[in-house]
Amino acid sequence: MRIPEEIRNILYGNYFGYVCTSDKNDQPHLTPVFFIYDENSQKLFFITNDRSKKVKNLSENPNISITIDIRDPVNPFNNEGVMAQGTAAITDKAPIYFLSEETLQLYYDIYHEFKSKYQKVIENKPLGENDVIIQINVEKMVYWKGPHFKSLKFKKDE
Amino acid sequence: MDNEPVKEKKWIYEEIVGRIPPFSLLSYKYSILLQFLLLLVIGITLGFIFDLEQISLLYGSLAILVAVSWSLLILQLAPTLRKFRAPLSKDENELLERYKGILFHKNHYEAVPGLVIFIPFMFYLYYFGTDLLDMWLGKSPHPILLLFVSLLIWDICYRMGLGLWTSVLALWRSIRLKKLAEKRSELEHTPYTELRYLQKLDINNVFFGLISLLLLPLFKTDAFLVVITLFFMSFVTLTSLYSAYIISIVPWLPPDIYNLVNESSFAYIGTSLKGKTHVTPVVYVFDGQKIFFNTSKEAKKLKIMQENNKVAFLIDKRDMSNIYENKAVLFTGEVKIYGIMDIPMHFIDMLAALKLFMKKYPEYTKKYSTSELPKAWQLTPIIARILVEVKPVKIIYWRGAKQISVPV
Repeated sequence: MRIPEEIRNILYGNYFGYVCTSDKNDQPHLTPVFFIYDENSQKLFFITNDRSKKVKNLSENPNISITIDIRDPVNPFNNEGVMAQGTAAITDKAPIYFLSEETLQLYYDIYHEFKSKYQKVIENKPLGENDVIIQINVEKMVYWKGPHFKSLKFKKDE
Repeated sequence: MDNEPVKEKKWIYEEIVGRIPPFSLLSYKYSILLQFLLLLVIGITLGFIFDLEQISLLYGSLAILVAVSWSLLILQLAPTLRKFRAPLSKDENELLERYKGILFHKNHYEAVPGLVIFIPFMFYLYYFGTDLLDMWLGKSPHPILLLFVSLLIWDICYRMGLGLWTSVLALWRSIRLKKLAEKRSELEHTPYTELRYLQKLDINNVFFGLISLLLLPLFKTDAFLVVITLFFMSFVTLTSLYSAYIISIVPWLPPDIYNLVNESSFAYIGTSLKGKTHVTPVVYVFDGQKIFFNTSKEAKKLKIMQENNKVAFLIDKRDMSNIYENKAVLFTGEVKIYGIMDIPMHFIDMLAALKLFMKKYPEYTKKYSTSELPKAWQLTPIIARILVEVKPVKIIYWRGAKQISVPV
């Protein structure tokens, strides 16, 4: 399925995503993240510390949602955004020489993407020892502009 | 903070009672009930032995009831203050330690006001020719009766003194706390839970004051004592009300977070239903104490919150040019959704929130009012846009890359 232009523009044109996870008691948790969107796989990725609350929540409940939006404090009709809902996959964490080819490639690709998108902020900072990549397998996207909504359903993997 | 075990803080009377079995074996509520019953039994027995009128028994019971109700209220102070966590501000912590120190001073100053009331009152009763004793006990009562009545009078006076002592100290503490709160920096504050404890104690004292009205029938033949009682009642009630009010306007958020919440325009609300999460931006207002956001009646998040009112609510300041300047605060907890049923009880709150929205987002209000909008978006005050209050249980604050957990 092709993702409509306006959604792609939002996914490519913004730096901050707001990730929501919830624990086994259905208590939500929310954090801002830097993210990247990969058009080929139609997946979103972000990097986080494996001791963070969101990783802990995701190990209890893999459901995840992320919102990326443009906000206009004056005119609500200019508010525009996308919420993607799906499940998260966390890359294995191991010393680099134990990682599978596939994971290594992913790390490499994602990190490069990140570096080009967030050049200004991450400069040459390498991935931290406890950093893991979270991959969001999107099942549904909701797009809004002003009062208008559009909803997209994705086929599940496999 | 020193780590030595906290000594149990007790007032003189409680210390004595706490050492005598069976009172020492009971929790404080049951101990008070037992004292109440014991006094009643003694009073009624004495009444029968000395053949008192029924009205005398009623007067006695009333006095015992007042003393016991006062005990119930005032004895919540020590256990509540014991639960108190230290404020995250050196000055405020010192103030509260000083407050506790004076309140439960080892020299037992708390008994002084009681004595100051008791001694003149006894003189007044025995030497100034009031007919109160006759009214209570009949002509020429037996010395044992007089002894019992004097004991009751001491019980009442001692507690009246405690009422004055605690409400004056509370007012002093509240005024000082409010002043110190204005000088806070960064993350200094006294947590919400602790402020609510203080407020609850003040409200207890309001009731303490009101209960003194029950004494009026005992003094009905003596205009002077009626005036004194009314004066006492007004003093304790008003002092405590004022103290509770001051506590209610002390910010419960430290200045860094207060300013972030106060100055930002948008927030994100995360909800979860059966594990599936949902996150969208919302507009919100902050009145210095409460955080409200707005949602359309048709919104998915509203339907989720109606089933599971646990939320995550995030406010942030984002700046790509300098990420070390980025700040965010996450409130996790519950929401209260205001509906039509809440209008009678919360009308003023709801109206105040609506006004804040109009002030903070004037253009929004204008645009929402136009009728070309879908029904769900039209701003029919209170009804189409649903008002939701965030009630945080936990606060996490990020400054740059640092994550700080802030007690609520």
